[in-house]
Amino acid sequence: MDLPCGTRNYDYAKDMAILRTRTHWALFIGLLVIVFTAPLYLGNYWLGVANLIGITIIAVTGLNILMGYCGQLSIGHAGFIAVGAYTAAVLTNRLGFPFLAGLICSGFTAGFIGLIFGIPSVRVKGFYLAITTIAAQFIIIWIITHWSVTGGFVGISVPYASIGGISFKGEASQFYLIMVITAVCILFAKNLARGRVGRAFIAIRDNDLAAEVMGVNLLHYKLLAFFIGCFLAGIAGSLFAHWIGFLSAENFTLTDSILYVGMVVIGGLGTTLGPILGVIFIRLLQQGIMYISPVLENAFPGLPAGFATGVGPMVFGLVIVLFLILEPRGLAHRWGLFKSAYRLWPFSYCLDIT
Amino acid sequence: MAEFLQYVITGLAVGMVYALIALGFALVWKSSSVANLALGQLVLISSWFTYGMLVQASLPYWLGLPLTILFALLLGWIIERFALRPLVAQPILSLITVTLGVAYFLEGVVSFIWPMSVAALPRIFPVEPVHIGPAVVSQEYIWAAVISLALFGLLSLFFRYHRMGVAMRATADDQLAVQACAIPVTSVFSTSWMFACVVAAIGGVLISCIGGITFGLVETGLKSFSVVILGGLNSFVGCIVAGPIIGLCENLGGGYLTPLIGPGIKDIIPFIIIIIVMFIKPYGLFGETRIERI
Amino acid sequence: MKNSRHKLVIGVVALALLIAILPVVGACATKPPAEGQALKLGLSICMTGKAAEKGSPMGHGKLDCIKYINEELGGVEGYPIDVHWYDNSYDAAKAATIVKKLMDEGCLFFTTNASAMMTASMEIANRAEFPGLASFSSPACTHPPKHIYAQMPDYGDDWAAFAKYYMENIWQGEGKPKMALHLLNNSTGYGARDAARAGADALGIEIVATEEHAATTMSEIDSLTRIKGKNPDVIFISSTPAPTAIILKNAYELGMYPGVAIGCAHASFTKALVDLAGADIAEGVYGVIPAVAWGDDVPGMAKMIEYCQRYHPEDEGNTDYMISWAEALIDAEILRQAIKHTDYEVLARGDVESWRATEMNGFRNVKGYDVEGLHGPVDFSNPEDRRGSKSVKVFQVKNGAITAITDWIEAPLVKYEDLEWFGK
Repeated sequence: MDLPCGTRNYDYAKDMAILRTRTHWALFIGLLVIVFTAPLYLGNYWLGVANLIGITIIAVTGLNILMGYCGQLSIGHAGFIAVGAYTAAVLTNRLGFPFLAGLICSGFTAGFIGLIFGIPSVRVKGFYLAITTIAAQFIIIWIITHWSVTGGFVGISVPYASIGGISFKGEASQFYLIMVITAVCILFAKNLARGRVGRAFIAIRDNDLAAEVMGVNLLHYKLLAFFIGCFLAGIAGSLFAHWIGFLSAENFTLTDSILYVGMVVIGGLGTTLGPILGVIFIRLLQQGIMYISPVLENAFPGLPAGFATGVGPMVFGLVIVLFLILEPRGLAHRWGLFKSAYRLWPFSYCLDIT
Repeated sequence: MAEFLQYVITGLAVGMVYALIALGFALVWKSSSVANLALGQLVLISSWFTYGMLVQASLPYWLGLPLTILFALLLGWIIERFALRPLVAQPILSLITVTLGVAYFLEGVVSFIWPMSVAALPRIFPVEPVHIGPAVVSQEYIWAAVISLALFGLLSLFFRYHRMGVAMRATADDQLAVQACAIPVTSVFSTSWMFACVVAAIGGVLISCIGGITFGLVETGLKSFSVVILGGLNSFVGCIVAGPIIGLCENLGGGYLTPLIGPGIKDIIPFIIIIIVMFIKPYGLFGETRIERI
Repeated sequence: MKNSRHKLVIGVVALALLIAILPVVGACATKPPAEGQALKLGLSICMTGKAAEKGSPMGHGKLDCIKYINEELGGVEGYPIDVHWYDNSYDAAKAATIVKKLMDEGCLFFTTNASAMMTASMEIANRAEFPGLASFSSPACTHPPKHIYAQMPDYGDDWAAFAKYYMENIWQGEGKPKMALHLLNNSTGYGARDAARAGADALGIEIVATEEHAATTMSEIDSLTRIKGKNPDVIFISSTPAPTAIILKNAYELGMYPGVAIGCAHASFTKALVDLAGADIAEGVYGVIPAVAWGDDVPGMAKMIEYCQRYHPEDEGNTDYMISWAEALIDAEILRQAIKHTDYEVLARGDVESWRATEMNGFRNVKGYDVEGLHGPVDFSNPEDRRGSKSVKVFQVKNGAITAITDWIEAPLVKYEDLEWFGK
């Protein structure tokens, strides 16, 4: 992490600090204030979008640990989120578990199922592993729709989340719950990346044969990556289930899995900030496109029939393609360059931008 | 016994159609190691273009179908030139995500130009099925199988003997060495994408004759993934052999397991096969085992 | 060279961020305020995505009808309808955010056109007491009844009506006829199965086989071979047009059809089915539709055809367009009853009081509305029965055209929530 000129570290704690300078602390506290007072100035709809963004950040952080830090390509993440969501639904609806117990159990269930489907990762890499995860997604969804416990094709309803006596009914209360859990997960991911386990993951990603030669136990760490990634997916799934209130298997499609991969890549693989930026960008883009169609149709009634239906996906695909052509290392990299340029100003041209 | 024969024949027929789509995937992988996630949408847009030619413009078959092939060539060239060429040296993940962006874009284009979402192609093949003993198979499938085998033969010969085919195989092996031999790697990529689009177009026309043009064409590509995994990602022989195997397993498994387990087991069999193959023989029946050195 | 590339990169990133910020800007830059007072209606439509084949014509139907009501009829009791619609792309998360957006914008109630989208939105709406109307619904949406209403009978009712018609008019033998079910692997298909489970014995039908298929299937020869082995007298298919066409073609190839009687639920029984399967193969297939056929002589048909030809000629002949047009007429009727029995100030607030008023004074006062003949009369006054229209018609494909062979048949209410095997 770049630091401003003149920052010197005299002890280990300062060296390892995430928030090092007073500016960092000020900005961080400012961000916390803005985020946690959001229910005061955002309406129901925008709080709902913020909740969805929070839930997706947790899921994509898990995917980032799996893909960005450990290099295991996984296009089946929606399936693991579904495992978490349905576990929470079944436990709270049919068995009467409290919300927190359901949350932890869905994390562990999703983690273990991810572990099982991650076993081939020891033998194959790259796209072969990706297809295995696609198969995992389809098998999980098939089991969910054909098992009466999970409601089959009818679906299953999920009661409100509640801790102690507080029931999280409205958007605002759910917002606080989700933001707290998101913050905890992001902190967890950041520390994971900086610690021994994170370094082992990065070693495996860069060259797993060399890592094995150096003493990193591949089986142990690859399965751990799958477990942690899917644990976070399970937690996201549980929060999603309580947020949306009624689950049906059609909520978790292959398109969603591919979208999560897109979010990680556009945000920046292998960074903690990457998933956050990627998720915010893509979710807002989706809302923006959803907004464009009616505006265009109302403004220009003489347009050909297919315009409104076609322009949404076209813009979306174009943005993804352009983004990857022009900034393949993701938004986090671009943000890092911006910060460096800001610090070196007016000598920013010294930076090697390309 | 009659049931068994019917399952076998249907399995082989359906499997050949899967193999046809899988050929398009293997083509791109074999020459540039890019996983073409937009394959389903390529099939879709080629089918709609055929519809546009044959029904909306009312062109005769001998004019409309070659125009579709030309369109597929052009589309493949455009995709490679503008979406993939700029990302030539990037990590494989970016390339896969770019094909995803291209897929979304093509879906939008289809909705834009042809706003009706379901259409039927005119009947190219007669409706009467062919009887093999007590079993029946529709003529469309027989034509699909014949065309798959023909394409497979043509592509194998091309890759073995034609200069460009040899260049493609070399590029998949080592791009740098190919450039050192003064073969333009960019034209190799272009050619492989153009061929892949043509194969997708032919597959699309055949599948549309069977089931009509719907957005479901996109998901047929997913079944082909299991063919490609079983056969080996970079082997044509693997596609042609694995296709019927998957079809057989699907129909026989579905046929005999459904009374035991319940309806719907047929849909999940290709994916269970993928998992089993991953545990036992990860690179497929005919794939090359990758040897890695530090 | 580097510098201009740098600028280009920043330009593209800025453009993308601008598109992403568009909704915020749009929220601040409000829609031009309707002169005077208007009634707000919220629509959640699947214009793009997997279900676009049905969602897009349905969206056109609704919007064209509302245009007709506002321009030619001067709105509802003089108040124009202010329609807020968004495209949910058949994505559950988007549908959930759309229903919240509609609540924020103060819409009086919302409608969806796919049962999956309603199940994604309904808990949020139920928790906030925001009423909703589903064009196509499944039993899970309306059982147990809360604040969601259905425009028409669902797929389970289709089965019940067809089974009744079959027993009375087609079945000639003695004893129990054997029926096979071929279902799509989602709530469309399984709605029929649930109804069969609840009602087959009472009607005297034996269900000998239940087969499932995916929407993207290419061949159902294997499942039909199994069905053939059980020798059924009738097959009921609850699915969408493309897989139903494949089943019909495969049944023809296996020699099963013509032979057994085949009935379809309303999701698949459209002109697209006849086109895809071919008029000769689809000849004689029965189907249940909760509406009249395109072109029938009813009061509302002429105006609908006029608007369809003017604004969306590619949707001509599409039953989904017609059903959506009818739904917009029902929406207008609900608003009419609401504004007649409530003060405008209460409705203008767009909060939970307005929604309660819309439900109690609007929905519950719609009794016997004829929807200009386009489908069975609509009645929301019974708190136990959330279906608007309760009757269907049985059709048959004759000479390549879908023609009605019965008048309105009432589908009885099945209280799924009382049955213990109904998952909830």
